Formats: sequence, structure tokens, C-alpha cells
Amino acid sequence: MTNPQLSKKSHKFLEDLHAYLFANGKKFEEIKDITNELEMHLLEAEKNGKPIEKIVGNSPAEYMEMISEEMDMDVSGWFKYILLIIVGSFTFRVFSDVLKGELAYSVFEIVGHVANSILFIVLVFASMKFVAKRQISDTKAIIMLTPVMSIPVAVFVAILYFNDRIDSPMIHFGETGTWLVVALSAILIIGMTLWAKTSILIVVLLLLVLPEYLLSFTSLQLEMQLLISLLITYGGIALYLWLVFRKEK
Amino acid sequence: MSSTQMLKGIIDGCVLAIIKNKEVYGYELAEKLEAYGFESFSEGTIYPMLMRMQREELVSATFKKSTAGPRRKYYSLTQKGEKELQHFITRWEQLQQSVNQVLQNGVNSS
Repeated sequence: MTNPQLSKKSHKFLEDLHAYLFANGKKFEEIKDITNELEMHLLEAEKNGKPIEKIVGNSPAEYMEMISEEMDMDVSGWFKYILLIIVGSFTFRVFSDVLKGELAYSVFEIVGHVANSILFIVLVFASMKFVAKRQISDTKAIIMLTPVMSIPVAVFVAILYFNDRIDSPMIHFGETGTWLVVALSAILIIGMTLWAKTSILIVVLLLLVLPEYLLSFTSLQLEMQLLISLLITYGGIALYLWLVFRKEK
Repeated sequence: MSSTQMLKGIIDGCVLAIIKNKEVYGYELAEKLEAYGFESFSEGTIYPMLMRMQREELVSATFKKSTAGPRRKYYSLTQKGEKELQHFITRWEQLQQSVNQVLQNGVNSS
């Protein structure tokens, strides 16, 4: 959160610089250092009547690049985060599948999922860099990036579609294997929840898994069950995000 | 060559000289440079420069509390930085001498 005394323009610049450096894989501590230092500088400059251009020059994009070039990449840190995203997203599948029986995945599905997660990460980072460098407003960014971010969703649907039609070896986890994977997934989710100090993962997971599972015990038609569970899932996530947003505000 | 390009090589040495006199924080350094007449540069360029100097161990930084608000990052010169400043002074004096000679000859012969 930047200083409220800072002008909107400077505030937006600092936010974009933060996002740009983050998307370039720089160390968190160093990002915090330089944005804090620039915030103090901008604050003093504005008090003395200097425009932001006097500080960052006429091209904020060039200035962001200049700073980025002087900072080291946090390779091991980012490798850990990427691994967490790939494995973490798979745990969601694990919980929803285990309620239907022992786990079994095709090699195509696993490879497809890993490749799609990497595609997702690359697109998120490339989009962040694109938006931050050009200092695009939030609304414009959402409109521009929705089609881009739909690509991994389309790939996900394609993987599900082709998985039934392509002959690929199956990996059966068996009873012990299944419980081992579930236990590891639970540890990972709890660990990430504690580390990030947010309940979002657990709430989203419960909203994704429980409605479908509980509705399967009812005598409702399958289509109706799916529709209701989808409504509960997305309605619940929206409600949760709204509550979090209101609390933060 | 534009004055900005010419400035880039020289400003490094001047920054080292200012820091040698007294440890400074970013805004203070920019103000001092401006007071010495370096007005055409964007103030923010001192930060990538200071980052590079820190990596090359020419300057070191410490955080200190300020009355104005959050902690400020103060820069001071290291031993390596002092040596680099001496090199810069020697290079600058040689360059200045050469340029002066060329200009004087140019004026005398015209």
C-alpha cells in the first residue's frame, strides 16, 4: 500500500513497477526496497512541486527496464513457486477425483496438465509485464487479457476431450497410493494456507469438491445436480471474494 | 553527442564524490546533483546507478529512521569506491587537459 499523500499517477507507476519486476522474477526483498525508495523520492519531489516525469523521465517503460536490468533473478525462489503452482493445481483434481474412487490418471492427462500449467504461468507473467510496462488501466487490462487467459481454459477442456479418445497408458495408484497422494495433497494445501496466511485455497477447494459430492446422494437428475453444484461453487467463490474484499476495504 | 550521453560517464564519478563527502539518501543526492548544475537528467536514474554501484561494492547502504516518515536508505562510500573515485579524478583531469588543449589550439589557429 503506497502513501495516501502520493498523486494517482505516482501511485499507478509504483504499482506497475512492482508488477513488472515481479513478473521478471526479481527477488521480493529487492522489489520492496526499490519501490519503497522510489515512493519516498516521489513523495518528496511532489511536495517540492516536481512532476513525475522529472523523476522517471518521459518513458516509464524504459525506466522500469533500466531498474530491472540492475536486479538479479531469484531463480531458485521462482522454481519453487512454479512447482507449487503446478503441483498445487493438481491437488484440486485429486480431491474431487478421490470421492469417486481410487485415483487413476493417464500419462496424456498428467503431461497435458503440467504443460498447461506452464502455459498458464507463462501467459500470466507475460500479461503482467505487458500491462505494467504500458501502464494500462485495470478495466482495459481485464478486457484485453480475458481472451488471452481463456487459452489455458480451452486447453484444459481439450485435454479432457482428447483424454477419452487418445490411447495413453494409465497409472493406477491403488488404495495405498491413493491415500498417500491425498495425504500429501492435504499437507500441501494446509502448508500453503499457513504460508500465505489466507483461507482462499481451502474455501475454493471445499466449494469445488463438496457440492458435487453431496448432491450425488440426492435423487436429483444428473444434469440438475451438475447445474446446482456449479451455481453453488461459483456463487460461493464470488460471495467469499466479496466478503474478503469488503473486509479489506 | 548529446549532453545527456556525455553526462552518463561523468555523473558516476560525481555521485561517488558527493557520497564521499557525506552519506546521503536518494532524494538528497538528486538535489545535490541539481544544485551543482546537472539539471537535464531524470532524478530516478540515480537508483539503477546506485544499485550497480552497490553490486560492484563501490557504495554500501544502511537504513536509518527519518523524521519525515519511513526508514531512509543512506549510501556511503566503501574503500573500493574511494579507489574508483581516485581513478575517476585522474581520468577526468587527463581528459580535461586534452580537451582544453584541443580547444585552445582551435581558438588560437582560427
